[in-house]
Amino acid sequence: MNLGARRMSNVRADDEAFEALFRSEYARVVGIANRVLADSHEAEDVAQDVFIDFHRLHSASADYAPAWLHRAAAHASLNRLRGARRRLRREVAQAAEEGERTMDPQKQVEVDEDRRRVREALARLAPKPAAVLVLRASGLSYAEVAGALGVGIGQIGTMLRRAEVALRKEVTRGTSD
Amino acid sequence: MVDDPDVGREDAAHLEGCADCQTLFKSISDDALSVASMLAVPDARVDVTRGYDRVRSARASSPRLGFRFPALMPRSRPMVLALAATFAAIAILAVVAQDFKTNIQPNSVTPVPITVADMQALTLLGNYGTVTWTKPPNLQVVSSAADAASVAGGMQPPVVTNLPKGVFPNITYAAMPQAVAVFTFSSDKAAAAAGQQGKTLPKMPAGMDGAKLTVTVGPAVGEIFGDLKQGSSASDISLPLIVGKSAAPTATSTQVTVKQMEDVILAQPGISPELKAAIKAIGNPSSTLPIPIPVAFTTSRTVTVQGVQGVALGDNTGVGSGVVWVKNGVVYAVAGPIKQSDAIDIANNLK
Repeated sequence: MNLGARRMSNVRADDEAFEALFRSEYARVVGIANRVLADSHEAEDVAQDVFIDFHRLHSASADYAPAWLHRAAAHASLNRLRGARRRLRREVAQAAEEGERTMDPQKQVEVDEDRRRVREALARLAPKPAAVLVLRASGLSYAEVAGALGVGIGQIGTMLRRAEVALRKEVTRGTSD
Repeated sequence: MVDDPDVGREDAAHLEGCADCQTLFKSISDDALSVASMLAVPDARVDVTRGYDRVRSARASSPRLGFRFPALMPRSRPMVLALAATFAAIAILAVVAQDFKTNIQPNSVTPVPITVADMQALTLLGNYGTVTWTKPPNLQVVSSAADAASVAGGMQPPVVTNLPKGVFPNITYAAMPQAVAVFTFSSDKAAAAAGQQGKTLPKMPAGMDGAKLTVTVGPAVGEIFGDLKQGSSASDISLPLIVGKSAAPTATSTQVTVKQMEDVILAQPGISPELKAAIKAIGNPSSTLPIPIPVAFTTSRTVTVQGVQGVALGDNTGVGSGVVWVKNGVVYAVAGPIKQSDAIDIANNLK
């Protein structure tokens, strides 16, 4: 096989690997972003940006690809949340409108308000505690959370406990302000 | 960890028979449930095919870079720029210091102080002739050590046996096949360049016009420890640690001697007296690889690494440091946001 043909073959293999990676991880990456943003449309935007960035930098067959995507999804969505606090009320309301149309209106108002307070509190947490909470709440195992954050699996339990305490504290602080 | 689906049977069995752990578990479990409830959202409705189509079209309009350095934190920029300047200058200064008539194989390194003005002056070399890559540098990012070795003509990546705490353990491999550049000196171009600066050329030795300098770099292979996707989205991630090795650069020349070429290059406007003195002071230019050290940014000292003499850059603050050494015709480098003592430790334990 000449050099040109080999390159074409490599490109094809890389494209196929990327598509396979996308199909296996996209829903999970969207899920992580949605957990943070409470907006499925915005979560899809974040997830697609994450995949595009990954493609530009890495081989889709890299062992660390899922861990990288999970971490990037958490950080990118948390960053967007921090930059969008002022828009939070509208966004959360929009998510509720699309996801829970059958709910009682009074109950809906309460859910919206709780969700807004929690996201504001999440945005105030340091990046790592916020990420560990979001990844775990998105269904990742301890090993997957550890892989995504580049820490030992033995640290995850402690990190989660501390992050949970920090989040509840921030939610309480936000309520009493 | 009992809420982890991957938890082992032993832990679950212990929990079943331990009242204290059950109480603690209930407390932890209640907290976790409470937070999970706080973070609950309606599931996102995901259209994978439509998502993939959008990503595929975005990829087409924004082709992959192959490799991109991460965005740099402001406090790290001077150090990184200094290191980049350092490595960019290695080949040029190696050439200046070596005997062009012979294939050279340096077996030790020595620090040479270099200023920003020196760097600017050295980049003007292109005004004095033509640089042609007969084998262009082709750095490739690959996903395994085997792939890296394949790109680098069989050279195996170094193996780090002790990673300092705080270094992101994900490894990206980078490799480059051998690259070859030929610099052909042109008296006409040199005269024109000097004329533009209002200067006249110093007297040229016979044979200078058309003299060729062939520099070979690599193959090289390295490991990058870190999250290469850095940027505004993550404030807690840092610069990568780079551990690499390369066949020592070699240089040959035609028509002129090393002394003649050196005199011409060092006669360029802008080269500092310190650099001239440092280069001329190198004891045995055929066996010593000069490592340019930007004087304004960092400090250097000679150290013993793997039983040979090397150069350590930076300090123990952890902002940035590096070690460079040559052993058996191979140049090794360890550099990153770590303490100098950690860099030396990695170097000494490299397999």
